[in-house]
Amino acid sequence: MRYFRLHRIFIAQYLKKLMEYKVDFLLGAIGMIITQALQLLFLGIIFSQIPALIGWSFEEILFIYGFSLIAKSLDHLFTDNLWMVGYRIVRKGEFDKYLTRPINTLYHVIAENFCVDAFGEILTCLLLLGYSIPKLSLPFHWYTTPLLLIVVVFATLIYTSLKIMTSAISFWTKASGHITHMLYMTNDFSKYPISIYNKTVQTVITYVIPFAFTAYYPASYFLTGENPLFCIGGTVIAGSVLFALALFVWNRGLAAYESAGS
Amino acid sequence: MSRVRRFFRTYKPFTRAGMQEMIAYRANFICFLIGEIMSAFIMYFVWKAVFLSTDRETFMGFTMEDMAVYLFISFLTGYLTYSDGAFSVGEEIIDGSIAMRMIKPCSFEMCFLFQELGSRIISVAMIFVPMVAGVEIYRCAVSGFVRFQIGAFLLYIVSLLLAYMISFYFNVCYGFMAFFFKNLWGTTLIKETVVNFLSGAIIPLAFLPSGLAAVLNILPFASLSYTPVMIYMGMYSTSQILWSFGLQLFWLVVMFGISKLIWRGAVKHLSIQGG
Repeated sequence: MRYFRLHRIFIAQYLKKLMEYKVDFLLGAIGMIITQALQLLFLGIIFSQIPALIGWSFEEILFIYGFSLIAKSLDHLFTDNLWMVGYRIVRKGEFDKYLTRPINTLYHVIAENFCVDAFGEILTCLLLLGYSIPKLSLPFHWYTTPLLLIVVVFATLIYTSLKIMTSAISFWTKASGHITHMLYMTNDFSKYPISIYNKTVQTVITYVIPFAFTAYYPASYFLTGENPLFCIGGTVIAGSVLFALALFVWNRGLAAYESAGS
Repeated sequence: MSRVRRFFRTYKPFTRAGMQEMIAYRANFICFLIGEIMSAFIMYFVWKAVFLSTDRETFMGFTMEDMAVYLFISFLTGYLTYSDGAFSVGEEIIDGSIAMRMIKPCSFEMCFLFQELGSRIISVAMIFVPMVAGVEIYRCAVSGFVRFQIGAFLLYIVSLLLAYMISFYFNVCYGFMAFFFKNLWGTTLIKETVVNFLSGAIIPLAFLPSGLAAVLNILPFASLSYTPVMIYMGMYSTSQILWSFGLQLFWLVVMFGISKLIWRGAVKHLSIQGG
C-alpha cells in the first residue's frame, strides 16, 4: 500500500518536471513514432512485391510487430531509469542517494522516472493491432483475455529483468550501459517471425536472451491457437526465472557497491 | 608552409586525446557496435526471407548478394560518417562550459574535428578492415569468384571522406541550434531517424517511387551514405561518379558556409545560464 502511494507521488513529481520540458518530451514521442513509421514503410515496400513472407501475410507480420511493442513499450514507460544506473548514476556516485532512503533501492530507481517517450511506441502498437486484428480471424475464447494479461506481465518482466541484471553489473564495474545496450538491441529480432532466422539465432533468442517469448511465440499462439504450453508457458517461465535471477544479481551488486570516491 | 605546420601542431593534441579516449573506452565501443550491427543482421535475414518468398532472381534490380553487400557497407559507411561533435556543443552550451572554449586561441569546430578524427582512426583500425574483408569473403563465397575491385574501393574511400566532412559540418550546424533551443534530446532522435531514412540507410533509394528517389538523390543526405555505397558496389557509371563527387563537394561547401553563418549569429545570442 505504502508503495502505491509513493508511486503516485513519484509520478506526480515527474509530471511536473515533464511540464517544464514539454516540447522536448513531445519531440521524443514524435521521434519514436517516426522511427516506427519508417520501419513500416519498409515492410509496405517489401509486401508491394511479394504476397507473403515465407508463408506470413502482411497482416500477420503487422500483428507480430505490434505485439512485440506491447512489452517493449510498457518496460520503456516504467523502468527507463535503469539505463541511467549503468550509464551515469553509479559512475558519478549518485547511487548513494538511494541507499540513504527507507525504501527498496530497486523500486526507488525504477519509480523515479516515468518515460513518456514510450507513448510513441504505445500509439504505434495500438494502431498496428487495431489495423491487423479485424483483418485476421483470431481464435477467441473466454480465456484469451486473461492469458493475454498474463503474457503482457511476464513478457514485460523479461525486458525489465534483463535491464536490471545488466545495469547491476555497474555495481562492480562502475559503468555497464554499453552491456545493457548490447543485450537490449537483440529485442529487434523478436519483431519478425522466428522462422526467418537461421538455427543459431533462433536458439539464442529462445533460450539465451529469450526475447522471442516477448513477441513471436505468444503472438503466434494468439494467431493460431497452437502450442499454448510452449508459447505461453515459456513466456511465464522465462519471465519468472529471469526476474529471480535479476533480483539476485541486484542484491549481490548492492553488497559489492562502493561509492565512487571523488 | 609554416602556417600549415602550426595549424597541425595546434590541433595534434586533440587528435591524440580522441585516440586515447577511444582506446580507454574500447570495451564500450565494441559492445555498442555489436548492439548496432544486429540491426544489419536482422535486415539480412528479412531480405533472405524475401528472396525465398519470390521466384525471381532480383528484387527491384538487386540480387540477394547485392542486398547483403548494401546492408553491411551502408552500415559501415553510416557508422564511419556519423559525427556527434554536435552533441558536445549542446551539452557545453547547457552547462556553460562553452565559454571556456571561446576564450581559447583555437577554432571551435576544428577542436571537435581533430578530436573526432582521432577516435575515427581507432575505429577504422578496429572495424573497417574486418567488415570489408567479411563482405568480400561473403561475396566470393556466394558468387564463386573475387568481386573486389580496387578502383571502386579507392573511389569509395574518397566519397566516404567527403561524406564524413559533410556529416561533420551538418552536425555542427545542428549542434549550434542548441544556442536557440537549449535542449537537444528529442530533436536528435528525430534528426537521426529522418537523416537515416533520407540517406538510404533504411531503404535503398532505388526502391522508392522514382520521383521521390530523384529528389532524395539530390538532397545532401544521399551524399552521406547512399552515394559512397553505390560507388563501392560499382552501381554507378563514370559520369554518375563524377556527378556525385561534384554534388558532394557542393554540399560540403554549403554546409561549411551555413555553419559559419550560424556561428556568427549564435555568438551574439549566447547567454550563459547560471555560473
